[in-house]
Formats: sequence, C-alpha cells, structure tokens
Amino acid sequence: MAAASRPDDGRPDPDALLAAFRRETAGRLKVFLGAAPGVGKTYAMLQNARRLKDEGVDVVVGLVETHGRAETSALVHGLEILPRRKVEYHGREIEEFDLDAALARKPKLIIVDELAHTNAPDSRHPKRWQDVQELLAAGIDVWTALNIQHLESLADVVSRITGVVVRETVPDRVLQEATDVVLVDLTPDELIQRLNEGKVYVPETARRATQSFFTPGNLTALRELALRRTADRVDDQMVDYLRQKAIEGPWAASERLLACVGPDEVSERVIRRASQLATGLNAPWTAVTVETIGQAADAKRANQLAKVFSLAERLGGDAMQLQGSDYTTEILRLARRENVTQIVLGQSRAGLFRRILGRSLPEALMRHAGGIEIHVVPGEEAQTSLWPRLRPLLSRRGLGVELAGALVSVACAVAVGDALIAVLKLPNLSMIFLTAVLFSAVRFGTRAAVIASLASFAAYNFFFIEPVYTFTVAQPQELFALLIFLAVAVFAGSLTGRIRDQRETVIRNAEVTQSLYDYSRKLSGASSPDDVLWAAAAHLHSTFGGRIVLLVAEGDDLQIRAAWPPDAQLDPAALGAARWAQQKKEPAGWGTGTLPRIAYQFRPLVAARGPIAVCGFEPHLAGEPITAEDERALTAILDLTAIALDRALLAREAVNAATMQENEKVRDALLDSLSHDLRTPLSSIAGAATSLRAFGDKMSPSERLELLSSIEEETARLARFVANLLDMSRIEAGGLKVNRDLVSIADVVQGAVERSRKAFPGQPVRVSLAPNLPFVRGDDRLLEQVLFNLLDNAHKYAGEAGAIVHARQEGAEVVISVTDEGPGVKPGELERIFEKFYRGGRADGRKAGTGLGLSISRRLVEAMGGAIVAQSPAVRRRGTRIVMRLPAAQATAAEPRPAA
Amino acid sequence: MNEPRILVVDDEPQIQRFLSVALSAAGFRVQTAETGAQALRLAATGAPDLIVLDLGLPDRDGKDVLRDIRQFSTTPVIVLSARDREAEKIEALDLGADDYVEKPFGIGELTARLRAALRHAAHAAQPAQRIEIDGVAMDFDKRLVTRDGAPIKLTPKEYDLLAVLFRNAGRVVTHRQILAAVWGPAHGEDTQYLRVFIGQLRAKIERDPTAPTIVKTEPGVGYRAAEP
Repeated sequence: MAAASRPDDGRPDPDALLAAFRRETAGRLKVFLGAAPGVGKTYAMLQNARRLKDEGVDVVVGLVETHGRAETSALVHGLEILPRRKVEYHGREIEEFDLDAALARKPKLIIVDELAHTNAPDSRHPKRWQDVQELLAAGIDVWTALNIQHLESLADVVSRITGVVVRETVPDRVLQEATDVVLVDLTPDELIQRLNEGKVYVPETARRATQSFFTPGNLTALRELALRRTADRVDDQMVDYLRQKAIEGPWAASERLLACVGPDEVSERVIRRASQLATGLNAPWTAVTVETIGQAADAKRANQLAKVFSLAERLGGDAMQLQGSDYTTEILRLARRENVTQIVLGQSRAGLFRRILGRSLPEALMRHAGGIEIHVVPGEEAQTSLWPRLRPLLSRRGLGVELAGALVSVACAVAVGDALIAVLKLPNLSMIFLTAVLFSAVRFGTRAAVIASLASFAAYNFFFIEPVYTFTVAQPQELFALLIFLAVAVFAGSLTGRIRDQRETVIRNAEVTQSLYDYSRKLSGASSPDDVLWAAAAHLHSTFGGRIVLLVAEGDDLQIRAAWPPDAQLDPAALGAARWAQQKKEPAGWGTGTLPRIAYQFRPLVAARGPIAVCGFEPHLAGEPITAEDERALTAILDLTAIALDRALLAREAVNAATMQENEKVRDALLDSLSHDLRTPLSSIAGAATSLRAFGDKMSPSERLELLSSIEEETARLARFVANLLDMSRIEAGGLKVNRDLVSIADVVQGAVERSRKAFPGQPVRVSLAPNLPFVRGDDRLLEQVLFNLLDNAHKYAGEAGAIVHARQEGAEVVISVTDEGPGVKPGELERIFEKFYRGGRADGRKAGTGLGLSISRRLVEAMGGAIVAQSPAVRRRGTRIVMRLPAAQATAAEPRPAA
Repeated sequence: MNEPRILVVDDEPQIQRFLSVALSAAGFRVQTAETGAQALRLAATGAPDLIVLDLGLPDRDGKDVLRDIRQFSTTPVIVLSARDREAEKIEALDLGADDYVEKPFGIGELTARLRAALRHAAHAAQPAQRIEIDGVAMDFDKRLVTRDGAPIKLTPKEYDLLAVLFRNAGRVVTHRQILAAVWGPAHGEDTQYLRVFIGQLRAKIERDPTAPTIVKTEPGVGYRAAEP
C-alpha cells in the first residue's frame, strides 16, 4: 500500500511527487474561502487579479457577481470580461458563465465567482464547480470564491447551526485538490456593520438577510468552521511538503477508515462523519456495504444505496460492495485485508431478538475487531421503524393476483376439508389449511402466504370449529390449537415465501448470466466492427428496452454506426454529450453530472488504446436512476463489447494495411514496367548514337547501318508507346473526340495492315474479308488504330507465327477478328488483359508491351457502340483471337453508298 | 595483349545488337547471353574477363544470377540498372558486383567502367605501391599523402578512408563497404558518420571541396575516386 510506505531511505515519496507533477500540468485552482457572503472574497480576488494584470499576466474575468456593490464594480473596470451566455429559462432570460467561450479564449488565468452556483438546466454541467474542473483540465488557472457553508461535508452541520438548508454544495475534494486556499476573514461585528451600511447586499434585501442568517452566533460558528478548515489544509500542505522533500516528520502513521453503510437514513450521516474524520487524519476512506443473497434484486434498496455511495464519492471516499451471507464477517475480513484502523458505523435498528443475543453489528464488531477503533453514529429517532417494513406488504403491485390466489387456495382447502370430513371423520384439518398456505407461498410469495394464513385462520374457525358457521370458539383447547395453527402458518408461509423470492432472484441472476454468455458467444462470431455493433445494439435493446445508439469515431467526428431502432437519430445536443463522453472517458447525459437533460446516457467504450466508441441508451423509467443490477449487467455488456469491437477494428486495420501493401506492390510493378518500356528504347538509341560517334570509324559499313536502323526502329517504338500513353490520358480526361461517320471496314483493315507490315516486316498477316460488308458508324482513324494495336499485340506475343484478320456480317453487326498463333491467354486472364497496364506473360511484364493497347482499344470500340472480347485458345489449342463487334450502319439516301 | 572477353547479358535484342557492334569496335571480344541460365553457363565455360549484367532478365532476377556467379568466379561484373533503383544497385554491389552503369548510358561511360574494372582485377594480385589522382599521390609504403609534392597531414582514419577509395580508383565503393573496411563490420549502417569524415577528407585533399574532383559522391550508393 503506497500510503504505508514511509520514506525511511530519505527518498522523496513518489506518490507525493506525482501529485505535485499533476498539479503542474493541469491548471491551478485558487479558492478564496469565506465564512459568509459579504466578507469580501470577490473584492480580494479582483484586487489580486488587477495586480497580476499590471504585471502582464493574461487575466480574464469569466464571471463576477458584484451584487450591486459599488467598490467591487469599480475593480472590474479595466479587466477583460468574457461575455456571458444568455439562456432562456421559464420565459426569463438569465445569464450564465460561458464555458466554451472561456475554453476557446484560453487565458492564463480566469476568474469564475461563486463556485457553488447551480447552472441553468440546459448547461453542459449542472454545477459550476464542474465547469471549473473542465477549465483546469484544459490547463487554465482558475480563481474562484466559496463560502464555507457550501462545502458538502459541512452541509448538515451548517443547516443545524443556522437553520438554513443548504442546497448548493461543492464536493470536499474540489477544495482538497485546490492548489491554494486563501481565507478571506472578517469579524462578525464588522460584517454586520458592513451589512447595515448597505455595503453587502442592496438595502431592501439586507434586513431580511440579517434577521435569518447574519446573527452574531451564526457568523461566529461559520467563521470557526472556515478557520478550522483552512488550518487543516495548511497542515496537509505541510505534510505534503515534508513528504515531497523527504524530511523525516512527525506525521501520523497512515490511517485508513471504513464506513459501514446500508440502505438506511443513518448511512448518510455515517458517510459525512467518516469524511470529516478522514479529512482530519488525512487518511483514505472507503464506504462499504454487504449484500446478502436475495437483497440484490430489491430496486428500492439499490436506489437508496446508490444515493449513499454517490455521496461518499462526492466527499472523496471510495465505494465498495461486498457479497456475502454475514455482515460482520465480511466487514472484518475486508478491514484486515486493507489494514483499516478505524471503522465508522451507524447504530443499527437491530431487533430485540438480536440485541439479546448480542448480535447487533457494533457489538459483534467490537467483540472481534481487536485493535480497530470503532465509531458509532447514533441513529435518528426511529419514528419510521415499523412503517418501512410494512410498506412493501401493502404495496399495490400484484396485490390483486396474490389476494385472489390466496383466497382461492383457502377456498379449495375448505372444499377439500368439507369433502374429507364427510368421509374420514378427521379430528384436525389444520394440515389441509397449512397445505393451502404453503401453496400460496410457493406460487405467489410471502405476502400471499400471510394473507392465506389469516384467511385460513378465519375459514378454519368459521367452517370447522364448533360452533360451526360462527367465529366463536367453544372449547379453550380449540382456541389454543387455532392460535398455534396461525403461528405455524405465518411462520412456515413466510419462510417458504422468502425461499421462493430468493429462488426468483437466483433465477434472474442466472438469466442475466446466461444472456451475457449468449452475447459473448454471439460476439465471438462477429468478425467485422459493424457485426459487433449491431449485435451490441440488439442485445442492449433486448436487455434494457429503450432506444440504443452506438457511435464510433470516424476521422474527427462521431458517427452513429448501429442503433435500435435502426433509424434512431441524435440531435446536436445529444451528439455533444456523446463527444464529451468519448473525450473525457466518462459517462454523460441523463443521470450523470454532465448534460443531465439529454434523453440518452452515453458511456464510452474504452479499450486498451483508449476510447473506441460511445454507447447511448435511454432510461428504463424516466427519472429513475439505474438499479445496481442493471448497472452490473450494463458494465459487463459494455466491457465485452469494447473488447470485441477493439479486436474487430484491429483485424480490419490489419486487413487494410495488407491491402495497401498489395496496392503499393502493384503500383511499384506498374511503374517498373513503365520505366522499363521508356528506358529500353532510350538506352538503345543513346547507346547506338554514342557508339557511332566514338567508334564509327572503326566499324564496317554494315555495322554502322545496323546501328542506324536500330536507332530508327527504337525511335518508332518509343513514338508508339508515347502515342498510346497520350491516347490513354486523353481518354481518361474525356478529351478524345470520336466521330460517328460511315466507315468502310475494308479501307480500315487495309490501312492497319499496311502500317503493321511497315512496322513489323517479319510478321506475315493474312486478310479475309466477307464480300459486301456493310458500313459501320464510327471514326475511321481510331478504328484503324484499334486494328493496328491488335496486330501489334499479335506480333508481340506470336512473333513470326503471323496473324489473320477476318471480317464478316452477323445479323445487324459486323464482326472483325484478329487471330494469332502465339501461346494464347490463360482463361482467367481473358478479361484482365483489357485492364489498364495489365500485361500477359511474366508478372513484371519485361517481355510484354505497354499494357495499354487493349485497354485503349476497348475504350475506343465501346465509344463507337461496339464490343470487344478475347478468346483463347483460338486454333489448334493455341493462339488468341480478339473479336470486335460493331453495329452495321443503315445507309440512307442522303449518304449513298460509294461504289465498291 | 589479348583482347579482353566481355560477356554481355541482356534480354533486349536492340541493346545486345548495339553493344556487340560498339564493344567490338572498341577492342573487346563480345559474347552474348539472353537469359540467366545462359549467362551462368557462359560465365563458367567461356572464361570471360568481364561480365556486363542487366538486372532485369526474363527467367530470373539478375541479382540471383550475380550471387550464383560469385559462388565460383571472381570475374569483374558490371551491372546495368535504372537510375531510380538505388536499393537494387547497392544490393548488387554488396553481392559482389564491381560497378554499375545507369540506363540509358553512353558507350563512353560504359567503356570507362569496363577498363577501370579490368585494371583493378589485374592489379588485385599485386597492389600498386603508389597511386596518383589529379595531383594527389598516395604512397602506401611510406603511408604518405602529398598534393603536388607537398605532404598532406591526415588522421589515421582519414588515411584508411582515402586508401580504400584509392585502391578502388575508378570504381564505386558503397557506404557499407567503406564503413566495414575502415571502422569494422559492426558500423555498416552509420552513414552519417561517413559523410562527416568524407567532408573532412575533401577539405584536406580537394582543390575546391565544394566541387570535388577526386572523391565523387554516387548519390544514395557510395563514393568513387576518380580514374588515376
């Protein structure tokens, strides 16, 4: 335990240094603490601020209430003042501190008066101290003012002293975590004098205030509280200093407090007492409760406990819930484990029975605690001791069913008893009624059992005990038996009923566990992030009802990725709450301290690498906090979802990275082959030209001629390649114009073949054209280019094996094909060869061409309304045939067909 | 002296054609190979004095061919590679290639590299005692460096560095090779180190250190001392 380690070796305490470091990175909070309004906190704060401003510090007044005091208003002049936010509330316009403006302005120091203020309902945080914490987290120094009466742990003390109920409170930890606390002090007499002079409140309100609050007695008590609290703080600072500097000091050995609480009224006072003690001792403390099996299901109990725990957390304690069967054992086990030195608990309302056995909690603890100090906080007068226990019995819910069930059971018992008595002459029918009571207990619960007991008592008496059909009892021993019966029935019935209630809890817990198990199985099958999110939305909806939204960060913003119902939307305010939840990794929205008026509550889904998503859900019942049971289930579901989502996201990122790498590889290969295609002819040309210059005179005429023709051929090759590249980029840019003239296929074929024969003299090309071929509509120049590209390809892949150009009419189309006898194309590549930069042959395409010819051809043919495909093998299990189909043109009178 | 035999390995017929013509005219005997397998066979049986190897071959990677040649032969190898492929060049040099020529290249550049490599191979048996480049002379016996007769004072590391470059005069030496020779194999990656030393060395030996003529930079690959 860190607190127990004393710096014996003269090294600074790491915890103390860490805390000091944290104080340095966040903004620093300075609190001007006063005993009462009017002591001059705002005045002192502004005076100091002016001095800093004169020294050149960036000071901004975020909000200052002058209460019409002239001296104070005068001080504000000359300081930069942040405009206030105007809020419409119940038809009135009120002004609030503008948190977002302050964060955007980001001064070195900001002054925000009245720390205990409650914000207007639509603000981000309900309380101003929460605004201040956000400012501090953003690295802005804050000065603020606070009256001692607003301190949470002192709230009940103050209301007992002054008789004024304090509604606006600030958690103690805010003051504890403040870097500096300045006490602004004024004697009660001076304050009352100032009040009477009208320097504190505007005159009309002054008198009323004086009478109720500003009495010398009240002020003295408050002043004492403020002075003591400040003195405690100074003491803490001294200890901190000693620990940081590793000075051996007389500070107390580390203490640890445990506050034992339960769902009752006294617990809140136990918590406040423990907090005060802990503050005095500078010790950590924990509020703990023990839940026995069967108690967990009680919603009212859970709500009361939640209230108690949230108070503990506000006062700077930890909260802990233990499960077990015996309160004392569990508490003591925890106390030993955590080295607790003091236990605070409330005087329990243990019944007479337990008190006689000495089993009330304080006594049991004292008997076994050995060495642990025990503080007992007295309970309130027990005016409510019976009522809360009876109240559940009288609740309306399910009463009708239970009443009917119990009465019908008893009626059956009467009928059966009547029938039996006629046949068997039974001396005592109590067993039959007991059966009815037990049946009611098992079927309908404790309350039905009690009703059935009473009804049985009455019915037994009425129907079967002499004199029959009256409620009078003739024989004293009959009365005795009847009373015994009642006692047994109530006892057995309520016992059975409790077992039934516990069984229901167990079943419900098992259901929750089962549903979690099912959910985790479903998640393990979900591979994509969306699958996980949809599974989560559906499961949350089926578990809690209400609308569910799941948001995932996309770039800088949150987007709804799954929701139930699927079309659920968020308004901007709700989206803001979701963002806040994600950024701060804390719940926001309904039921939390941030934007509580939003219909949803948002919880961040936090994985190891940070918040990855936000879950928003609507409450079960508006206005009621989440029950402990739901909270547990919700936490479990969200944790599971976070893990599964993180896994799915990581898997997707891995796939993306692999795809990118693959793309990169393809692009590299493409660039490689492009640069190869450009460089090879350039190398040949440059090499041949330099050779001619350097060694031309040593060469034979035929060698010189060879180099020269090499230069010519390579120049032509380069020109073709560049032309293809240009065509392609023109097509891509949409700048290529395709004419739609009448084109004679014969002319086009002839032109292309002539060009090809010139370019590749070694390649034999055969032409076979059907007679009377119709015209097609298109661009003769581009069509010739297409045919030439096809012949070029045939030359590249089939070489000297030759190519055949064939054209015929098929229905309304003209079919032109170019067939080579090369190695052919694999079936899987027949479509891919039309892709840009795709080449046949080896992967890096050294041998092959530009990878543009076919791609360009397809674009051009399609622009002319035709189609082009590849077939392979073409002849004798070898070769490739590229087939073009172009629609035949209808020759019109205006465009007479030229003579063949 | 016999005409040196050059084995040209390139799959582009156009390049084969002009290299055969040009190198014959320049006084070499030329053999040609179009595939890696053919190249290996000829390197083993044809006893070439030098091999010109294109790194892009149809049947296998040129670097693999180089690795295989180095298994049985120390014949100088000059690789043909594209300008934008530094990594490939460095890899080939570290695999034992003697030099490289960037495509597209002029025939003068290629023949100069061929001669430097052949000369170095001839001297490998008995290293020169004295090498002079552009007025800077290095006497390995006396461990003395002079410029135009005047001694230059070098630190031991600078001397070792200059010695590596001068012994390979005319040939490229990669960063890794220099570092390993001067500072030991463990320093193979410290190229920043090397840049600093080269700067100091140039300040002492070059006439104009901003436009060096003796120790030239081969960007991304290494350094090259000029021809003696």
